[in-house]
Amino acid sequence: MTIAPVAISWTALAPMVVLACGGLVVMLVDLLSRSASRAVLYGIGVVSCIAAFAAMLPLYGRSIVTLNGAFAADRFSWTFDALLLFTLALTFLLSSLRKADDGGSPGSYAALLIFCTIGGMVMAGANNLIAVFLGIEQLSLALYVLAGTGFPRESSQEAALKYVLLGSLASGFLIFGSALLYGADGSMALAALAKAAASLSPLFVAGFALFLVGLGFKLALAPFHTWAPDIYEGSPLAVTAFMAVGVKVATFAVLARVVYAAFGHDSPALVALWAIAILSMLVGNFGAIRQRNLKRLMAFSSIAQAGYIVVALNGVNREGLSAMLFYLAAYAFTTMGAFGVMALLGDGSESYADLDAYRGLFFKRPWPAALMALFFFSLAGIPATAGFYGKILLLQLAFNGTAWGVAMAVTLVLGTLISFYVYGKVVWNMFAAVEGEAPAASGNAIAPWIAVAAGALGTIVFGVLPQTFYASQPFLAAAAK
Amino acid sequence: MLINAVIFAPLLTAVLLLFVPRTASAALKGIALAGALITFVLSLTFLGSSQNGAADQSVAWISGTWLASYHVRIDSLRLFFVLLTTLVSVACIWAAFSYADEARLRGYLFLLLAFETTLLGLFTAADLLLFYVYWDLMLIPVFLLLVGYAHSAAARRAAWYYLIYNGAGGLVLLLGVIALVAHTHSFEVLASGAPQLSGAMEWWIFLSFALAFLIKTPAFPFHSWMPPTYTHAPTPVVAMVAGVQSKAGLFALLAFGLPLFPHATRALAPILLVLAVCSIIYGALAALGQRDMKTLVAFSSLSHLGLVWLALFAFDITSVSASILMLVSHGLIAAALFLLMGFVEERVGTRDLAVFGGLALRAPRLQALMLIAAMGALGLPGLSGFAGEFLILIGSWQTQPLYTAIALLAVVLATVYVLQLFQGILHRPLRADAQAQLELRPREIWLVAPLLAAIFFLGLWPGWLNDRTPMAISNAGTTALQATPR
Repeated sequence: MTIAPVAISWTALAPMVVLACGGLVVMLVDLLSRSASRAVLYGIGVVSCIAAFAAMLPLYGRSIVTLNGAFAADRFSWTFDALLLFTLALTFLLSSLRKADDGGSPGSYAALLIFCTIGGMVMAGANNLIAVFLGIEQLSLALYVLAGTGFPRESSQEAALKYVLLGSLASGFLIFGSALLYGADGSMALAALAKAAASLSPLFVAGFALFLVGLGFKLALAPFHTWAPDIYEGSPLAVTAFMAVGVKVATFAVLARVVYAAFGHDSPALVALWAIAILSMLVGNFGAIRQRNLKRLMAFSSIAQAGYIVVALNGVNREGLSAMLFYLAAYAFTTMGAFGVMALLGDGSESYADLDAYRGLFFKRPWPAALMALFFFSLAGIPATAGFYGKILLLQLAFNGTAWGVAMAVTLVLGTLISFYVYGKVVWNMFAAVEGEAPAASGNAIAPWIAVAAGALGTIVFGVLPQTFYASQPFLAAAAK
Repeated sequence: MLINAVIFAPLLTAVLLLFVPRTASAALKGIALAGALITFVLSLTFLGSSQNGAADQSVAWISGTWLASYHVRIDSLRLFFVLLTTLVSVACIWAAFSYADEARLRGYLFLLLAFETTLLGLFTAADLLLFYVYWDLMLIPVFLLLVGYAHSAAARRAAWYYLIYNGAGGLVLLLGVIALVAHTHSFEVLASGAPQLSGAMEWWIFLSFALAFLIKTPAFPFHSWMPPTYTHAPTPVVAMVAGVQSKAGLFALLAFGLPLFPHATRALAPILLVLAVCSIIYGALAALGQRDMKTLVAFSSLSHLGLVWLALFAFDITSVSASILMLVSHGLIAAALFLLMGFVEERVGTRDLAVFGGLALRAPRLQALMLIAAMGALGLPGLSGFAGEFLILIGSWQTQPLYTAIALLAVVLATVYVLQLFQGILHRPLRADAQAQLELRPREIWLVAPLLAAIFFLGLWPGWLNDRTPMAISNAGTTALQATPR
């Protein structure tokens, strides 16, 4: 008996291979030259992102399924990959200010970030349940360690431990759910889910529910969100930024692929998802009201934003996918920008995670404060920002005539109103006059400035001219036709 | 092209300010004022151009499943709101010179100019998405000005009232806009007449529009944000909010509400008429009881704008078309009053009418200017306030005699509270700091003078404005005037 060799399309895998090579180079440089500075190691990281993006260019608009159907490089995953690489590059820029005593060697930190992102790219292209699980585990394992790299601070150790314990539990749900799904349709391929989904067999429903619980945890959707505030607060700033953006981007790719593969149209089984979305919007926005630590605030914000993005799945149609991609991109630009300002001002410390540090900031550092205001306005959905057009797209999808759609639209609007206060509070503090002494001098390093500028550019350009984003993404460009 | 120049000239000026050093206050002031003046002059050119000032430009903007275009228009309805904005802005930006300390002057002028652009954008938007963008965007400059430039804890608290109330209104409007566009699949809703909606759907969507408009104006019982904002906002800001922004809701009703929902406006008119009369009476009664001069004028605004709600929902051609005259006139009077009261507050250091008085002795010029603005507010014939009120009352009487009779009561009350205000500031024995310089400076006289001149002009020749508007009304509202409730 001969075993047929697995056909491998190296073109499809090239971006991940290139990025992995970058990771290996980082490790080698770190090993061979103990004195290699952060700048060099993170520089290699940024270059690997650019190289991996270059490797993605030949894939633009193409659709390749490889590794016996386990992995797909298509127009859909292209945008997710681009967003992940963008997030990774910005995370490196944000990390550049971390102090040597922050714990962990910069080499392992950089390599872990890279491998974490590769996990995300596997998730974005995963076409069967095994690949999904592999991607999620690679992403999560690297992140467990990264959460603890601020280990001189106790809260970072605590974050890492909590993340491992709760994350493994979620992985358990995920793998058990996958097993039941396999039992329901007898195949690991996502495409095979459709048959079982059509009949809604008990095995499928149980498997899908457990699978959703696992993904809900990774996305920090309510009621699986309780880990997020502590872990966001404890992790180093740049890691928190990556958690808030990178993990969401990759996991939403999985959620979308599974839902679209299984249902292809609206289904009663998705009601659970709509309920989760509504709960997340409320929990995230109400929870953020009382936060005075910006990392915790961003944790609750990310819960709410994840709830908004789930609305994009309503109706399970093509417009939904483009709305999801647009909203994720808007979210990536604004969130990375906001964390960029925190990193920039804190100059390697976490001091600007505290709301009080922002009091009267605008009149001392007008530019960072003005850009911070821009990012928070975008998160709140104020017009002329990317976040606003994202919300228009989501509301458009919610109004498809179903009662759940209307309920989600109303909750989205209500959540947005609450978020006016949440995000407005930060802006209010920056513009309110200071009584008492001025806060300590704050940083002005170039690397985080680049990240902030990139975030601001995306936020404004995609807000004023959303069409430009459509034109640049293969999936959306095809949808617009 | 010219129309975009008008809309974006203030914003460009604002951006230009960023390139001027923060300490060069003379240059900052010069550029800002020049920008505002150029905008005003540019907007005047629409008066002379053919077809009664009409201009229209449309560029495709978003071509997804729902189409949107960058569609701006100036017609006989929008023209006067644009002129009001550019004229009041010149005065407010000029007035701002003395209110900002040197370190904050640049940001102050930047935000005022940006605010002007959002207002001009709103009054020219002919595409619903574009309209909504400006509708929400205008909250930001005012919020930031209240928080950062008013130097009082009360103003910083008022900023929350302003943001949350108007934000809520905006989001309700957004729901309505999306529900409407879910039917039309294009934000260009004005292009093809009233959309064919089912009765209940039209009713719900109009309700969301109306709620947003009622909050923005504001009208009873959605006015809670107004007294703190008007009382504590920096003078130039409140002059722009009371003078121009408060017209946004009623303008939107004329430009979008009536043409889009002819049947629902009819059906909901009984409720809105009751709210209008409540605003008129409640505003007048509340103004009577105020000791704070700015709060007093805030409540008088509630009363006066309530009259415009009455005019619109009386569905009489005279009253509907006179509403534009009334809105412009109220904008001029409110802006002038708030600017003058700002000068007074600056001199006597308080807004409490019981604490100071008798300024007329020492400041005859202030008295003269204040007299014009105050008499305009109480509707003295020969000033613009009279013309608008009179035409509205004549028109509304035809269809809603009962409500109009009640509203007449408020006109009487207006005399009382305006005289209370005027006498409280200027008459009685002098009780202000006798050493202080109380008379207006030349700059202050010159910046209010154009507003007062316009009040005179419209009072003596209301036809100049009113004869041009029936066409606007027939474009915008005939469907509503002829429609039957459904």
